[in-house]
Amino acid sequence: MATLDPLPEQYQKQLQGKLLFTAKTDLLPNGHFGVQWIAITEEDIMVWHQEGPPTLRLKITQLKEARAVGAIGGGTLIVDTHEGPVVVGRYTAALTPVFNFAAKLLGALAKREELPVLSERDLPRNCPTCGNPLGEGTQICHLCAKKSTAALRMLRYAKPYRLQLVSAALLLILTTLVELVPPYLTKVIIDDVLQTKDMGPTLMLLIVGLGVTMLAMTAMQTVRGYIGMWVGSKLMRDIRKEIFGSLMRLSLAYFDRRQTSQFISRVNQDAEEMRQFMTDGVVFVCGHTLRIAAIFIIMCGLDWRLSLFALLPVPIIVAFSLTIWPRIGRLMYQQWRAIFRVNILVGESLQGIRVVKAFGREREEMTRYEEANADVMKKNIKTEGLWQIIHPLFSLIAGLGTLLIWYNGGSKVLHDEMQLGVLLALVAYLGMLFGPLQWVSQMINWVGNAMTAAHRVFEIMDTPSEVPDVDEPLPLGVVKGEVMFEDVTYGYEKHHPVLKGIHLQVKAGEMIGLVGHSGAGKSTFINLLCRFYDTDEGIIRIDGVPIRSISQSDLRKQIGVVLQETFLFDGTIADNIAYSKPDATPEEIMRAAKIANAHDFIVRLADGYDTRVGERGHKLSGGEKQRVAIARAIIHDPRILILDEATASVDTETERQIQEAIARLVQGRTTFAIAHRLSTLRNADRLVVLDRGKIVEVGTHEELLVQEDGLYRKLVDAQKELAQMKGAEG
Amino acid sequence: MADRYDIRLLKPDDVYLSRGEGGVLQGVVDGKPYDELIVHRTFPFRHPSAYISIRTTKDEELGIVRDIRELHSESAAELRKELQFRYFIPQVIRIDSIQRKSDLWLWKLQTDLGPTRLAMRNLHEHIQYPGGNRAILIDINGKRCEISDWRTLDSHSRRLLEEVL
Repeated sequence: MATLDPLPEQYQKQLQGKLLFTAKTDLLPNGHFGVQWIAITEEDIMVWHQEGPPTLRLKITQLKEARAVGAIGGGTLIVDTHEGPVVVGRYTAALTPVFNFAAKLLGALAKREELPVLSERDLPRNCPTCGNPLGEGTQICHLCAKKSTAALRMLRYAKPYRLQLVSAALLLILTTLVELVPPYLTKVIIDDVLQTKDMGPTLMLLIVGLGVTMLAMTAMQTVRGYIGMWVGSKLMRDIRKEIFGSLMRLSLAYFDRRQTSQFISRVNQDAEEMRQFMTDGVVFVCGHTLRIAAIFIIMCGLDWRLSLFALLPVPIIVAFSLTIWPRIGRLMYQQWRAIFRVNILVGESLQGIRVVKAFGREREEMTRYEEANADVMKKNIKTEGLWQIIHPLFSLIAGLGTLLIWYNGGSKVLHDEMQLGVLLALVAYLGMLFGPLQWVSQMINWVGNAMTAAHRVFEIMDTPSEVPDVDEPLPLGVVKGEVMFEDVTYGYEKHHPVLKGIHLQVKAGEMIGLVGHSGAGKSTFINLLCRFYDTDEGIIRIDGVPIRSISQSDLRKQIGVVLQETFLFDGTIADNIAYSKPDATPEEIMRAAKIANAHDFIVRLADGYDTRVGERGHKLSGGEKQRVAIARAIIHDPRILILDEATASVDTETERQIQEAIARLVQGRTTFAIAHRLSTLRNADRLVVLDRGKIVEVGTHEELLVQEDGLYRKLVDAQKELAQMKGAEG
Repeated sequence: MADRYDIRLLKPDDVYLSRGEGGVLQGVVDGKPYDELIVHRTFPFRHPSAYISIRTTKDEELGIVRDIRELHSESAAELRKELQFRYFIPQVIRIDSIQRKSDLWLWKLQTDLGPTRLAMRNLHEHIQYPGGNRAILIDINGKRCEISDWRTLDSHSRRLLEEVL
C-alpha cells in the first residue's frame, strides 16, 4: 500500500467522518506556486490554504462526478455538483497521478461505487530524500544511491581484460624508466669522455648502452601498442554490443519520440570515444604521471636549485589547464549537439525524400541544412580554435622554464660551478618533462570527449524500459487465446488518453474486427495487446493471466502480427519468412508461403526463395510483401493474430488473394483485425466499433447494420457512397 | 447553417466569458449558455494571445477568438486568466543554478509565479526553441517554464545559460 503525505494536525482536528485521502497541491487557486491541503472523508471534501477553517468544503452528497482535467504543465481537479462545476485545486504536472486518483475516488464516492485502492503508480515518483524524480520502475534514487562516476563505470568494461592491461601498464613503466637512461648516458659521455678527452673503451661501451636502450624501448613500445590495440578492439565490441542491447530492450514509446538515425552515431562513434579513453587515455595518464615524477626526482638529483627554476611554469600550466577544462567540456557538448542536429536533418530529409521531391522543396531543405551546417562550422571554429591557442601557449610557457635553465645553468658552467653535461642533461630532461605536460591538454581533449560520449551512452543504458518485465514472470505455456480487456485506459501523453475504459472479452478462436474513424484508437488497442506500451489503468489478460506478469518474449511468441507497413529485413525471402523460427525447414517455409498465397509468385522469381529482399535487394510490390509477411505470421503459428490494415494499398485482385490467405490464417486463432475497407471484415465474428477511444458498438455486421443511427451504419454508408462515386467517375 | 468545415471566428458580441461560482470558466457563446468552457491556444508559441479555440467539455469547437484584445474587457480578462491556468508556464525571472548530478540536470529557478525546480535527463530533448530568444524548459514530469527572452535576464542567469546552451 502506498502512503500519502500525512495531514497536518491542525487540519486533522477539523475532520468529520473517516479520512480516505489527503493530498498537497503545489499551486494556489490563483495559479501561483504554493501549497493547499485537500482532505477527502466519507462525508466531505475540505481544502485549506492557511490555518483556520477550510477555504472550501463540499458535502459528498452534493457531488455528481469528479474530474482531473489535464492541461499543459498542470491540471485542475474539478467536481461537478448539482449547482455546477467547482474547482477543488490546481496542481503542476508532477502531481497529475495523485489527482487522477483523487478524481477517481471522488467519482466513486459520489456514485456510491466500490472505492479504488491507491497504488504506487498513483504517486508522484520522487526520491523521498532529495525530492528529485525517480526513474520508471524503480524506487532507488540515482542521485542518492549511485556515487560512481561515469569514468569508473567506464572502467568496469576494462575489467575482463585486466591481465592484459596490467601487463601493458608494466611495460609502460619499464619504457618510461628506460627512456630516462639516454640523457643520463649523454651526460656521462660529455662530462667523463668528451671533456676529459679520454678516448678509452668507455665511449664505445656507452654508445652500445645507448643502442641497447633504444632497441629495448622500440620492442616494448611495439608489444604495448599491440596489447592496447587488442584490448581496445575487444572493448569496442563489448560496448557496442551493450548499447545495441539497450536499444533493443527499450520500449517502442522511446523510439516514437525520437529520430532514429541519431542512434547510429551513438552506437559507433560514442563507443570509439570511450575506447580511446580506456586504452590510450588511461595508459597515457598513468604513464605520464609516472614519467613526470621520475624526471623530477632525477633532475633534483642532478641540481635541485636549477630544477626548481625550471619547474616555475608548472603551476601556471596546471592552473591554466584547470580553468580551461570546464569551458572545453561545454564547448564539446555544444559541438556535439550541432553535429547531432545536422545528422538528424540529413536523416530526416533522406527518409522523407519522396515528400521533399514531390513538393519541390529541395532548395528549402538545402537552406535548412546550410543553416545547421554553418552552425557546426561556427562551433567547430570555436572549439578547435581554442585548441590552436592552447597548444602554442603551453609550449611558450614550457619554453620559459628552458630559458631559465639555460640562463642560470649557463652562467654556472661559465663560472665552472657546474659541468656542461649536467646542464645538457637537465635541458634534455626538462624537454621530456614538458612533453607530457603539453599532453595534459590532449588528455583533456580525450577525457572530455570520452566523458560526453559516456554520458550519452549511459543515458541510453539507464533509460528504463517503459514496459519492464516483472521479476518472476508467470510461465504461459500453450494458450487457448482468450483475451480480456478490463477497463483499459491509455494515452501516449498521460494527460491525453487515447483509449478510455475499454472493456472487452474475447473468446478463444474468435475473430474481432476493429472499426472506427482514424484516430479512434484502433492501433493503440493493438499496441496495448502486444504490450508495446503498458496500460495507464486497467488490465489486459490472456487466458486469465495479466500480460504484465508474462515475460515479453513469452507473450510475443503467442502473438503474430501482419502490419500495414510491411518491413522486410535484408536477407532472402526464406530468411524473412522464417524470421521468428530460424530453424524452419524448406518444407515448412513453402507450406507457409502456400497458405499465404505467396508460393506461386516466389517460385516465379529467378532466385525463388533465395531472392534477396530488403534495403539492398529485389523490390517486391506492396501486395507481395504483404503475403510474405502473412507467411511470416503463419510460420510463427501464434494463438493470437493481429492484422493491422493488412490489405490497405493493394488492388482488388491482390486483396482477394490476401483475403484468401488471411481466411486460412485466422482459422482456430483469436484474431484482431483492423481494416479500412469494411468489406474485409465480413468474416469477423464480432465487430467492435471505437469512437474517440471508447467502445460504442459491438456486434456482428448484420446486427450493427440494423442500427440506423449507429456509427457502423454511418461508416458503411459513407463507404458505399464513396464506392458509387468512384464507379460513376470510372 | 454555416459550413461545418469552415473555421468560425468569434466576434466580441458572440462570446461573453465569466467565472462561475465554483471557479470554472463559463460563458455564453452565440446566445447559448455553457456552464463550463475549455480554451486551447492554437499557436501556443507563435501567437500565445491570439487564435484561441473555445470548446465545450465534449470537445466541440464553438469558435475561435482571433485576438483576445478584440473581446469585451471582462471576457478578455477571464480568458487571459483561464489561459494562465490551463497553460501553466511560469516565466523565468532568474536562474539560481544549473547543476549536473549523476544523470539529471537540476535547475533552480525564480519565476513570476514563485520559485521552482526542474529536473531533466538531458538538455537536447528537454529544451525547445520556438524562435527569437525564447526557450521552453520542460522537465521530466512535463512541467514547463518559459524564458521569454534570455537577453533580458540578469547577468548571473545569462552566464549560467550560456554555459549550457
